[in-house]
Amino acid sequence: MLAVVRKELKSYLLSPIGYIFIGLFLLMFSILFYNSIFAAGLAYFQYAFYDAATIMTFLIPILTMRMFSEERKSGTEQLLLTSPRSLVSIVLGKFIAALIIVLITILGTFIHFLVLKHFGTPDIRVALCTMLGFFLLCAAYVSFGMFASSITENQIVASVLTIGVFILMWFLPGISENFYYISLMYMFDHFPQGVIALNEVIRFVSFSILFILFTIIVLQRRKSVK
Amino acid sequence: MQKEGKTLIEVKNVSKRYGDFYAVRNVNFNVRDGEIVGFLGRNGAGKTTTMNMITGFMEPSRGQIIVNGVDVDAEPKKVKKMIGYMPEGTPLYSDLTVKEFISYMADLKCIRRKEKKEAVEKAIMQTGLDKVRNRLTRNLSRGFKQRVSLAGALVGDPEILILDEPTVGLDPKQVKEIRELIKSFRNNHTVILSSHILTEVSQICEKVIIIDKGEIIAIDTPENLEKSVETKQVYKVTVEDTEDKFQEVFQEDEQIKSWKKTDTIEDNTFVYEIELKENLIDDREFRKKFAIKCAENNILNLGIQKEEASLEDAFIKLIDSRQEYTNEEIKKMQYEKELEELREEKEQRKEEKQLLKEKKEELKQYKKMKKKENEDIENDSENDEGGED
Repeated sequence: MLAVVRKELKSYLLSPIGYIFIGLFLLMFSILFYNSIFAAGLAYFQYAFYDAATIMTFLIPILTMRMFSEERKSGTEQLLLTSPRSLVSIVLGKFIAALIIVLITILGTFIHFLVLKHFGTPDIRVALCTMLGFFLLCAAYVSFGMFASSITENQIVASVLTIGVFILMWFLPGISENFYYISLMYMFDHFPQGVIALNEVIRFVSFSILFILFTIIVLQRRKSVK
Repeated sequence: MQKEGKTLIEVKNVSKRYGDFYAVRNVNFNVRDGEIVGFLGRNGAGKTTTMNMITGFMEPSRGQIIVNGVDVDAEPKKVKKMIGYMPEGTPLYSDLTVKEFISYMADLKCIRRKEKKEAVEKAIMQTGLDKVRNRLTRNLSRGFKQRVSLAGALVGDPEILILDEPTVGLDPKQVKEIRELIKSFRNNHTVILSSHILTEVSQICEKVIIIDKGEIIAIDTPENLEKSVETKQVYKVTVEDTEDKFQEVFQEDEQIKSWKKTDTIEDNTFVYEIELKENLIDDREFRKKFAIKCAENNILNLGIQKEEASLEDAFIKLIDSRQEYTNEEIKKMQYEKELEELREEKEQRKEEKQLLKEKKEELKQYKKMKKKENEDIENDSENDEGGED
């Protein structure tokens, strides 16, 4: 698994993808932070994360769209799947590599916390709690994006599918309250309040595991129907 | 010559089906240890599918593949460790350097960290990639890319190398280099390679498996396959015939089936193509006889060359012998058969009718005859009675 993680990280950081993702997110986060501090007059670090969750809806596919679809299109999938490595380790390797990029990005937002700390006394526990929730939300996004990438060899289709489903999850709670329970945004809502609700952590983790499993099943199934 | 090594790969009744279409159907063959085996077939014949099933990339719909005593389906990880696979089209990670790519392949093959450096170095040296080891794979020429892909398959010294179209798209020089490289694997690896280039297979491989429309149609050495089509004895002879006697001399030779002038080099120098009658005379005898006859008739024999059957001839002959019919053709044949049956039935009925008519005629004649006989008897009896009176 480590070999796949290393290679994937190298691919993210040797190509513009990793930098575009990190750079774009931090730039947008800075704008949101500026707006919440100076325009809205709210000196809370965590508030910017509400809108950042929406931004991630559109940015995560940059990371995930190429995960399997590019391998499939270029034929390197054959190198992976004819190697003695298990499908679980390959899928987890790619997932973890994308999460590391996400983690680097989230840690980058901590600069804004330090800026606030210079002028006042922001609550570090709430900040860390928000960052944890945001990380879990991104993990769930990545797992779905990876699944979408495994079902098509077209990166555009994978990214449109990912964004489409995220937007759907975003609007579904407006139709019925029952959809709150599958809305990732709703699950994240409690973290910026400084509350780590175990059931929401479990829901994020379950969602991620579910789509990791689906990805493995898709790859396994393709072996027999290919 | 057939090698005597143990059987390393056994492919038993393997089929791969997509809906109603069979990409590979009931394929059976064995590969012995140390052999270089060539898969020969047209594009879409089922070569890549068969190779993909051996590597565990695809699962067969039916049948079993055993590699070194291990079932691919039951223990794929174990089998994959024994195989180095070079897929068609040389897929590479374009953002990695040559060394990084080979190193990643070594990682994927679960080579231990201690041995990895040495294994990568060995693969680089074996494939002649030393000078380009730090270049990105996307900036390499096609020939080097092919070498990098080969190095990826070779790293860690797997027992079996499976190479799918290893020379496709290369220039003649690069083709020669890759072929030499593959030849150098002899004795250290068992190699299965696929190609649709006949000369390649005949030059590199000890055994050829010809596959067409998903079915194996021949397994033999290139020499034996060539011999199998070498039924015609055709010679190309160049002679200087100043007295124009060639035609006269060879016209009535009972061993010659046909001959024709194919070229005129100078005024009196001609090239003839002579075809002999089958199995009447062997090569040596004919050459001797030809030389003597030429000398006796003042014809200067400048050269005699037997037209050899090539592997290409064997391939085309085998493919052509497998005439397959399309659905339309099958329908047409069924229709013609039914029509023929109807015609026969009609003919039969006609005959029966004719027979019946004849029988009726006979009966009529018979009745007529009987009636006449009865009348005669009656007349006779009347005459007799009248006489007595």
